[in-house]
Amino acid sequence: MRSLGDDQAAEADAERWPVERLAAWQLDRLCEVIDFARKETPFYRRLWSEHDLTARKLERLEDLKHFPITTKEDLLRGGSADPTPGEGPVGFSTRGTSGKPLVVWLSAEEEEVYVRPTMRGFRWAGLKKGMTALLTSPVWHRLAACEAHAVARIGGRCAFFWGSILNPRHVESFLRTLDEVRPEFVTTTAPFLFWLVRHLESAGNSHAGALRNVAAIVVVGLPLTPRLREHLCQRLEVGDIFERGGTQEGAALDECAVHSAPHVHEDVCYLEVVDPQGRPVPAGRRGNLVVTKLASAGSIFVRYNTGDIAAFVPGRCPCGSSFRRLKIYGRPESSVEVAGKTIAAYDVRLCLEEDQTLVGRNLLLVREGVQSPQRLLVAVEGAGLNTEELERLLCDRLGLPGAKIMWLGDIRVRWGFREVLDRRELRSMGLNDSRENRR
Amino acid sequence: MSLAGAGSAASLQDVRLVIDVPDGRLLFGCGDLDLWAEHLVWCYELLGVKRGATIAVQDFGTSPLAFLGSALLMPHLNQGVAERLGGKFICLDATADRVALTPFVLTQLEIDLFVVRAEVVGLLGDACRKAAFEFAEARTRTVVAMDVFEPVPAAMASWRRLLLSESAMLIAPECEWCGCFHLRAGLYRLEDGAIRNLRLKSAQNRPLNDHYVIVREPCAKGPEDLRIRRAGEPCRKWSR
Ligand SMILES: [Zn+2]
Ligand SMILES: [Zn+2]
Repeated sequence: MRSLGDDQAAEADAERWPVERLAAWQLDRLCEVIDFARKETPFYRRLWSEHDLTARKLERLEDLKHFPITTKEDLLRGGSADPTPGEGPVGFSTRGTSGKPLVVWLSAEEEEVYVRPTMRGFRWAGLKKGMTALLTSPVWHRLAACEAHAVARIGGRCAFFWGSILNPRHVESFLRTLDEVRPEFVTTTAPFLFWLVRHLESAGNSHAGALRNVAAIVVVGLPLTPRLREHLCQRLEVGDIFERGGTQEGAALDECAVHSAPHVHEDVCYLEVVDPQGRPVPAGRRGNLVVTKLASAGSIFVRYNTGDIAAFVPGRCPCGSSFRRLKIYGRPESSVEVAGKTIAAYDVRLCLEEDQTLVGRNLLLVREGVQSPQRLLVAVEGAGLNTEELERLLCDRLGLPGAKIMWLGDIRVRWGFREVLDRRELRSMGLNDSRENRR
Repeated sequence: MSLAGAGSAASLQDVRLVIDVPDGRLLFGCGDLDLWAEHLVWCYELLGVKRGATIAVQDFGTSPLAFLGSALLMPHLNQGVAERLGGKFICLDATADRVALTPFVLTQLEIDLFVVRAEVVGLLGDACRKAAFEFAEARTRTVVAMDVFEPVPAAMASWRRLLLSESAMLIAPECEWCGCFHLRAGLYRLEDGAIRNLRLKSAQNRPLNDHYVIVREPCAKGPEDLRIRRAGEPCRKWSR
């Protein structure tokens, strides 16, 4: 599927390793990280001594499950601010979408480890020497800092637009850079890309074909359904769109050209998907994403629960990579509990998009003010159509006792990382029950 | 892509970084950034920063204050501010959502210098009030980064100042010792009432008009520098 030149051999190695070799490599790195954290990180030293793990060694990867899972709250409470030797000179703040932000540190050693998989992912997406890449600002995210270095090492030119990917008003500024610099490669967030689509639609022809020169866009931030990806490619007239994933705490994933789900860069991070009791679940089953960084540099994360809802994809990817694939479905701010099930906006989108006319319409899950409601309430942009049929489909596919769709008419929902609304907020938007019943 | 004025870069092939800024575009070739990182450190030192300092910047990610922060952030930068000062650096985006989080971030860090883009100081003030957060002046030196013509935000009248005009790649600190802005010798020159960048071809001239007066008596911190201060303002000396 991909030809591997000599200069790429180093990055290609790990993803082509036999499973046993990869596991042995991961075990070695995990042992190093645990030894380092025990010696140098007051937080882990305290935590593991409380769990009687002061001398515990890892014999197999599975032994990691004896180490306690940590959360952002644990770190904030437990003194994450205590400096660790080698944590590095550059800080990044997490988004704080679910509570307070956490500051993570990046060191030169850690960046060196993470630039390699970034280069690998960008090559999968088609970045080549001599191309110009329009990138998100490197200060925005630990992974974005690695991106600019990866482009430079591949031999590309880096371009940056003025402003922020967090502000829809900066789409204009993005377009100006796009128009004049004509990059072949773009990295951005999925919400920003949707703002761009909306902006282009409202701007008429003034930016027609603005992205025609772009061979690939790499997006982070929201899981794309296959139809949504196609929709974006077609609307933006770009060659292809690749999902990239990762967290400030060390998870790193990139999609190959098969587009089945992003591959985990398993040479730099060890990811687990666990049930509510913290036990790893088999591939195909959803659970919480737990990250362990395989580098004893930067901020250390051992079994850190990111809060993401994720599942490993069973089997091997046709591209030949031995790295497992992981789909991240959402976070607490993009999912609701209905009849004891966690339903992500992604799941609802996947169902509704079976009706081609609904692809690209944004939606919000509505969190009702009751404990474990028996009905899924979804607010969808645009005029209503086939409501009963779609509600039945949601119930069947998601295994729910009830589902209700509320059509938003001409109200536009801003694409964002947050895809859930409280019922009260719905009312404050001027959407009351009478509107809810209007079809 | 127009190449007129790429830093030292002579041809399209030599331009490695294209950084769009308000009303302009900065083009850098290999090795061009280090000069500006060294200059920014010099500016911070004039604002009283010492080695090993932790610096936080509230600005957009494509501001020079952000991208010169560390070699880990930008390729083709051998040593950024953090490496040169042997300190730490964090950039907090200037978007409203992020400004709202700043007080929570700052409580996790011991910041020596906090530089804020002038256009968001109002938002930041609101966020700090909401979170009941106050800057401890003894610990954190606060600086407002403002363009030449930007009015001084009233709430930040007591903050130190840094002139920042991205399209001119103009970064000029208010000196601790003389209270004036230093236009560093060798980097900037005043020509026909405008500040001209002598080292970056893609930089535009920045007109100065009569908002500023030139100060004649020299300052030991930069005897060759052209020094200016806001017309009609009393002297803002911080030290001695
Ligand atoms: Zn694959
Ligand atoms: Zn002076």
